[in-house]
Amino acid sequence: MKKIHIIGIVIIAIAIGAIFTTLNNTSTYASFTEAAKEPGSEFHVVGKLNKGKETVYDPKVDANIFTFYMVDNKGSECKVVLHKNKPQDFERSEQIVIIGKMQGQDFQASDILMKCPSKYNDGKPTANN
Amino acid sequence: MEYINEHIGIGQIGNVFVILSFVFALLASISYYFASRDNEDSLSWKRIARLAFRIHGLSVIGIVCTLFVMLYNHYFEYEYVWHHSSKSMPMRYILSCFWEGQEGSFLLWTFWHVVIGLILQRTAKTFEAPVMSIISLVQAFLGSMLLGIFIFEHRIGSNPFTVLLRNHPDFANIPLFQNPHYLDKLDGRGLNPLLQNYWMTIHPPTLFLGFALTVVPFAYAIAGLWKKRFNEWIKPALPWTFLGVAVLGVGILMGGAWAYEALSFGGFWAWDPVENASLVPWLTLVGTAHLLIVNKNNGHSLLAVFFLAILTFVLVLYSTFLTRSGILGESSVHAFTDLGMSGQLLIYLFFFLFLGLFLLIINWKYFPKHVEEDGIWSREFWMFVGAIVLLVSSFQIMFYTSMPVWNKLFSLNKAPAKDVIAFYNNWQLPFAFITTLLIAVGQYFKYKNTDIKEFLKKIVLSFIISFALTVTVIFILNFDKPYYSILLFSSIFAAVANANYIVLVLKGRIRKAGSSIAHIGFALVMLGILISTSKKDVISRNTSTKSVSSLGEKFSDDDNIILTQGDTLPMGKYMVTYKGKRIEGINVKFDVDYFSKDASGKLKLEFSLSPLVQTNPLMGNVAEPDTRHFPSFDVYTHVTYADLAAAKENNKGTQDEYAAAKTFTIKKGDTIFSSNASMIFDSLSTRVDKKRYQIDEKDIAVQAYFSVNDLKTSYTTAPLYIIHNNTVQPLGSKIEPLGLQIVFTKLNPQNGMIDISLQEKKSNTHDYIVMQALIFPCINILWLGAIIMAIGTLLSIVERIKK
Repeated sequence: MKKIHIIGIVIIAIAIGAIFTTLNNTSTYASFTEAAKEPGSEFHVVGKLNKGKETVYDPKVDANIFTFYMVDNKGSECKVVLHKNKPQDFERSEQIVIIGKMQGQDFQASDILMKCPSKYNDGKPTANN
Repeated sequence: MEYINEHIGIGQIGNVFVILSFVFALLASISYYFASRDNEDSLSWKRIARLAFRIHGLSVIGIVCTLFVMLYNHYFEYEYVWHHSSKSMPMRYILSCFWEGQEGSFLLWTFWHVVIGLILQRTAKTFEAPVMSIISLVQAFLGSMLLGIFIFEHRIGSNPFTVLLRNHPDFANIPLFQNPHYLDKLDGRGLNPLLQNYWMTIHPPTLFLGFALTVVPFAYAIAGLWKKRFNEWIKPALPWTFLGVAVLGVGILMGGAWAYEALSFGGFWAWDPVENASLVPWLTLVGTAHLLIVNKNNGHSLLAVFFLAILTFVLVLYSTFLTRSGILGESSVHAFTDLGMSGQLLIYLFFFLFLGLFLLIINWKYFPKHVEEDGIWSREFWMFVGAIVLLVSSFQIMFYTSMPVWNKLFSLNKAPAKDVIAFYNNWQLPFAFITTLLIAVGQYFKYKNTDIKEFLKKIVLSFIISFALTVTVIFILNFDKPYYSILLFSSIFAAVANANYIVLVLKGRIRKAGSSIAHIGFALVMLGILISTSKKDVISRNTSTKSVSSLGEKFSDDDNIILTQGDTLPMGKYMVTYKGKRIEGINVKFDVDYFSKDASGKLKLEFSLSPLVQTNPLMGNVAEPDTRHFPSFDVYTHVTYADLAAAKENNKGTQDEYAAAKTFTIKKGDTIFSSNASMIFDSLSTRVDKKRYQIDEKDIAVQAYFSVNDLKTSYTTAPLYIIHNNTVQPLGSKIEPLGLQIVFTKLNPQNGMIDISLQEKKSNTHDYIVMQALIFPCINILWLGAIIMAIGTLLSIVERIKK
């Protein structure tokens, strides 16, 4: 067997390894209802902030706890406990992705991604005085 | 309707340039194609082609100038100008506005291709016609991205000159456009505040020059296949490829430096899809460059070098597709928007991919078949292995980054894992280890065959020195991760062995040492990344946080700490005080002092940092960290939360008002806390001096006694709970010196619990910030390494051109 064949086999093995570990090392986009069915596993939930309900961030009590209510894309609402600081401009977010797991009635989120299209796109031409 | 003061003419001029640039790129490509055929007409075709490409170049410059004039004069009637600039924006950001949008960045890319093409016209000699034919074709494709015309209801390209703001579909029915004088009242949206810094001025042109340079090895490879000059293209393509390596490498690290200095990522590299999209072509470009050297020396690895050169350029197109098509969606923090151009981009991508593969396959039979194998002790064998390692490494990154693409293609529903960074790090570490090891030993191997005794004799000193250095570093930094230690060793080994090579083999001839210097630089980059990342220390640990670790590893995330104005808290070896905020224009700056504590406990001011929040009502506030640089470490400070609304109120003289009440349900003996005092609920009493409080004799009155303590004084206070004519009419009590007011609102006779509401004056609530403080050790090694790598690469390019 030539060296080039050995190298080829090693490459293919690593590539297959990369593909499989990658596919295993993923989480799933889900709704709150789906996340509640498997309380132990981690999900990404996409949705919107319920602006009608209150958000609580009291850094004097705990700078790393922020709670709010979110409505997922299927329309169900859930209380979210984010174990991080309240993100800048949170109220302006158009879409939220939270990463975490369901525990009891609450969704415990370890991370959050926000899409603020306003930052890039929004805004219409208006007259200034 | 007639609109007043609109500048329609300049847009038409711009449009003419756009069309000219497209048409002449196409013409140049075709005439270079005919020029490349060896017949009597080829010379005249070449003359036409050269002229056509120059006209194309001039048109591109014309587009650039027109767009600048429009930005400079605030012609907001054009959507691009309105979208990316504003009257109040300082002119030093005009370049940033220019390439903020997709059209501008394609223009920048095209511009660099023109510069490269004009140089190649003079230098490529016999390769001029085929190479320029390919580059002109690329230019025609890129030029069509700017056309903005409709063919069968499909829009081809997006043009910064044709889209008038009032014709924009999103803004139909806006009353402003009923006014013929609308321009007098219009201001632009302005540049995204995130992008208003000098990095946005220097990073994109560098990165795009790097991207643009990948077209040269691609065009040469295609030309080599096409003209069956399989080995001849290697030598002229070499310096260009290495220039690409240097420029793209610097561009990528500039992006990292930008993220670290001015954005709030908390580091310089987050394995974000957009970052990966620029790293992957760099990895394959480095592989290409090294295989070019192999092939130049012994003619081997021909298929691999063709494949990598073509792949690199296709990967640049793929990166553009990933970042510009909006497909990354939720997985990236960078939100580039889709201008509906992704289909067009995909067509180009597949066109150039299939063109390359097709030429490879039809020429397969001409490739030398029975090449003798490279010996295991030859330099070329290990360089080949290195290139393959880079290819596999880039495959892993690209496969994971492309997850949204797989989702779309195969209707999957997979999200990136919780700890993407750790996943990438764990995967990439072995690749980095092998690469740095190969860098260390590579130059000690000779082409063809190496005397292994000689090799060992030369390398042993570097090995021993590196081993000793590694052990020392492990002890000094308390480096406790064995998995990372092997990379620590291999990186140190790479740096030491290459330095030793300059002394031992090259006898200090610096001009010959380009590649060794570049390799030292790369090894230092790896070292800086390794140490600053793995020994990154979050010193703002919030010790009071309730334990949430039961939820999983990631939930120990307590990196934020609250710092009240005037308080001093220990963070790492520092004592940190928040002094207060000040407003400078649109920036709110938070002054944070770092003190050191000497043996007697005295505080000494070491330095002050002012992380800031840029307020922008239109596009949202943006936080910018502040970093103190020391030779061996950085102290990075970032405000993650600040109550900007309260800050404004405090300035408006409402200090004497009471803030919103807090309610407590307590029993006897309980303690409640205000921001400045503790209050113990001592007793309840029904023996109330009713006359003193002017209470009706028939009323029921209960008095609650509290002893209130701040640090200096003790007070007693006693709010009253009164039932008058069956309604509760409590009588609150105040502690004026402390700015407190307590109201006794409810009594539960069964269990003796009472409700009280506590209010504090607004002047009591001190200003505070929630911040993070991180220490990045040895990060300067990373930046130093980047500079050394660039210098070394440029040195070797100069040497190669001289040969």
